[in-house]
Amino acid sequence: MKQIANFIVNGKACELAIEPHMLLVEVLRDELGLTGTKQSCGIGHCGACTVLIDGIPTLSCLTPALTARGKNITTIEGLAEGTRLHPIQKAFIDYGAIQCGYCTPGMILSAKALLDRNPNPSREQVKQALSGNLCRCTGYVKIVDAVLAAAESMGKEASE
Amino acid sequence: MSQKLSVVGKRIIQPDAAAKATGAAMYASDLKMPGMLIGKVLRSPYPHAKIKRIGKSKAEKLPGVEAVITPEDVTQWKPFDRGLKDLPMIAGGYLVPPDEHILNERARHFGDAIAAVAAINEHIAEEALELIEVEYEELPFVIDPEEAMKPGAPQVSDVAEGNIGKHLSYPFPEGDVEKGFKEADCIVEGTFSTTKQEHCTAETAAAVAHLDVNGRINIWSQCQVAHMARREIAHIFNMPVSKVKLMTPLVGGGFGQRGSVCAEPICIALALKTGKPVKLEYTREENFTALESRTGFKYNLKIGFKQDGTLTAMQVYMLGRLGGYMGCGPMASVIGMVFGLGHYRCPNRAGEADMVMTNTPVSGAFRGFGNPAMMWGIEQLVDEAAEKLGMNPLKIRLKNIKKAGEIANMGLRLESTYLDECIKRGAEAIGWKEKWGKKKEGKMRRGVGIATMTHCSGAAPLYLDHSNAFIKLNEDGSADLTVHPAPLGQHIWGALSQIAAEELGILAEDIHIVTGDTDITLFEYGSDASRSTYAIGSATLIAAHQAKEQILERAAKMLGVSPDELEIKERQVYVKANPKKSIPVADVCYDAIYNFKGECLNISGKCSWEGRWNSSPTGAFFAEVEINTETGRVKVIKFVTAIDCGKAINPMTVEGQLEGGMQQGIGYGLTEDYIINKDTGVVESDNYDTYKMPGILDMPETEVVIIDKPDPKGPFGAKGVGEPGMVGVAPAIANAIYDAIGVRIKDLPITPEKVLKALGEKSQ
Ligand code: FES
Ligand code: FES
Repeated sequence: MKQIANFIVNGKACELAIEPHMLLVEVLRDELGLTGTKQSCGIGHCGACTVLIDGIPTLSCLTPALTARGKNITTIEGLAEGTRLHPIQKAFIDYGAIQCGYCTPGMILSAKALLDRNPNPSREQVKQALSGNLCRCTGYVKIVDAVLAAAESMGKEASE
Repeated sequence: MSQKLSVVGKRIIQPDAAAKATGAAMYASDLKMPGMLIGKVLRSPYPHAKIKRIGKSKAEKLPGVEAVITPEDVTQWKPFDRGLKDLPMIAGGYLVPPDEHILNERARHFGDAIAAVAAINEHIAEEALELIEVEYEELPFVIDPEEAMKPGAPQVSDVAEGNIGKHLSYPFPEGDVEKGFKEADCIVEGTFSTTKQEHCTAETAAAVAHLDVNGRINIWSQCQVAHMARREIAHIFNMPVSKVKLMTPLVGGGFGQRGSVCAEPICIALALKTGKPVKLEYTREENFTALESRTGFKYNLKIGFKQDGTLTAMQVYMLGRLGGYMGCGPMASVIGMVFGLGHYRCPNRAGEADMVMTNTPVSGAFRGFGNPAMMWGIEQLVDEAAEKLGMNPLKIRLKNIKKAGEIANMGLRLESTYLDECIKRGAEAIGWKEKWGKKKEGKMRRGVGIATMTHCSGAAPLYLDHSNAFIKLNEDGSADLTVHPAPLGQHIWGALSQIAAEELGILAEDIHIVTGDTDITLFEYGSDASRSTYAIGSATLIAAHQAKEQILERAAKMLGVSPDELEIKERQVYVKANPKKSIPVADVCYDAIYNFKGECLNISGKCSWEGRWNSSPTGAFFAEVEINTETGRVKVIKFVTAIDCGKAINPMTVEGQLEGGMQQGIGYGLTEDYIINKDTGVVESDNYDTYKMPGILDMPETEVVIIDKPDPKGPFGAKGVGEPGMVGVAPAIANAIYDAIGVRIKDLPITPEKVLKALGEKSQ
């Protein structure tokens, strides 16, 4: 039996009728058309499906959609302000941290959660924060560089 | 070549990066069409079984189900060659009658496709699968190639007698190996084995198909060789090629796995049966069991040296596991021998391989193809010989590496090589002098190791190496470049934009890539064999050159000079002797289109390129490892790859390729093990909980050294760089382990258990 559920997705309220067995990743991708959230392993081991729920990085492939009722969900589509990219997005582009791009949304959201709570992380802390996100293309080197560069540019922005 | 370059060599950002960073990028798995159905596949739980009966009526009755298809529903379509290699080629005439069907009456491996459904959503499709009743007759199975070759072993395929899928010989044998070994002062030999590494592309296999109003198959395919896939699809479905339109969306990783057809045949079959658009997306588990993964080998390798370290002979016999169907596996042995036996200068070389059918998931191409497998053994034996001869591992390699002008691995001229510089600069970066060969003590021991390699920039002369490019200039001075590489994440659109822009004297962002539709693009063999930048880049360069000549000719008229007095820089055509006299490229292009004087011409260029040479990239890999002698755990502390890939079109991309290669190579070397249960034939490692590919915390400190010297043949001096990155990683680690603790591990992957066992044997 479908149930009515309310979410705030990327700052916008939405009301949906969903089956209780539906996972958050399905609701985002299939019902809301937010295909930026990727599914890669489906068992909680790769981080491609990471979204932020009330700011906390969460694996949407393991999250029953109904448990996110009433919560604030941020997906990769919610990061840029209009055409103004988030500094983490910009750094990923500038530093060549994106190859096939399939892990990228999850990586960027994990990085955002880190920088929101620790604006000045060390290289090691960045690695720890991204340790649940697998990437097969980049060897992670440029991803770490990008996150550190984003932290720096966000720090500068904040002090301006 | 001391050409002044203004676009090539720059760390430009990629045309598709912003779309990928914002979630706007569209992959096959993201596509959605009105009325689209979702496909699902029923797969064999047994490694070998006959389907005695399939009951599909219950599944068909489930509301929302639009089609249930079984082997008898697909008999009007032809069996196929998933590896798309049914063309003549010089390496062993590898033409085998394809015997894989869209759905199979006899399952030949765990995960083989038995039946498929299309339903209005994924949940209903999954439920329908459960309602299909299959009566299997389990058959005896064989998973080990040596067992499969024994008389009386279960027969896997009807076209492979005695389970020998293919016997192949090294295509470039040389001299007389027996004589070579007689002349040797030192002979080293060993048996090495390598694994069925899985690609772990982040996006799983996915396809979307529908039949358009003209009865043409429209298929969105991730295939790395799009035009080859279109050809095979037309063949399977008894249609002329003109009735298939194949489109390539962005692809979430390929690494050779998408060099074969994957989800396409079943997806199209469902679309034809239902008359509706169908999306078929594999699960991660299906990716592991239904697609091709790296070809695993066991091989005996023997190498002879003179007292001074000069190579006298190399010989190999390889036994490879193909799996239930042919796929790209057979070529992995040939390519392995080509790259391995052709790497060093050696007057006597021979190699043979038996590629054996087994009841296991299919083997195929994976980054580097057979090169990582062969160098795994060769580079360990070279180290062993160095020790016996009392030579430094660097020196023995420097002695035997080839020089430009010699015959290269692929039987063509070695156009350029700076492998000596790679060895020297890589050694410096890892700190070889201070670290290698030092006495080790204590529980934690460190060591350093080296491996080298030579690879290719395309398939010539072993296989079709045909690329095309078409470029047209718009009235604003921008250009549309029509090409069809596979956008796998290797930044190929950016590299081709740089090549075109450099030649035209405009900026990389002025190039718009038109691609991904076989109705529009000229024939393209595709993106494998590290060929896109080199081959498609060569076609692009020549096409751009033609267009440039047209620009210069028109500009010359407009400026009242001759074309050779002109040059183009940053979107402006200048008179070289008098740079004050100039005209924007855009004005020339505008005049060419809106001419009104009887001289209309859309400035354009087109090139069909067929590889007649093949510049070899070379590289040296250095690992520093730390081993816990109590647990056997190996940690890579630092990894250095020094690469000679000619001129780096975009150094940032080159670094990215090599850093990614390290991740895959470290996984191949240490953790990635494709486990098939010997008693049941079931694949036990089919997702990331059971198959460990390196995460961010498993990565060492890394360094990439780019030699950056142009090759005489490649576009602006570029050579291939996609595949080389992982070739020497595992043997460099193995050699570092030997340096640290004095044991040799010859079976991949190097697990703590193997290290402990070897340490135990050594201390006895
Ligand atoms: S798809 Fe959710 S963790 Fe992999
Ligand atoms: S960029 Fe391809 S998986 Fe990370």
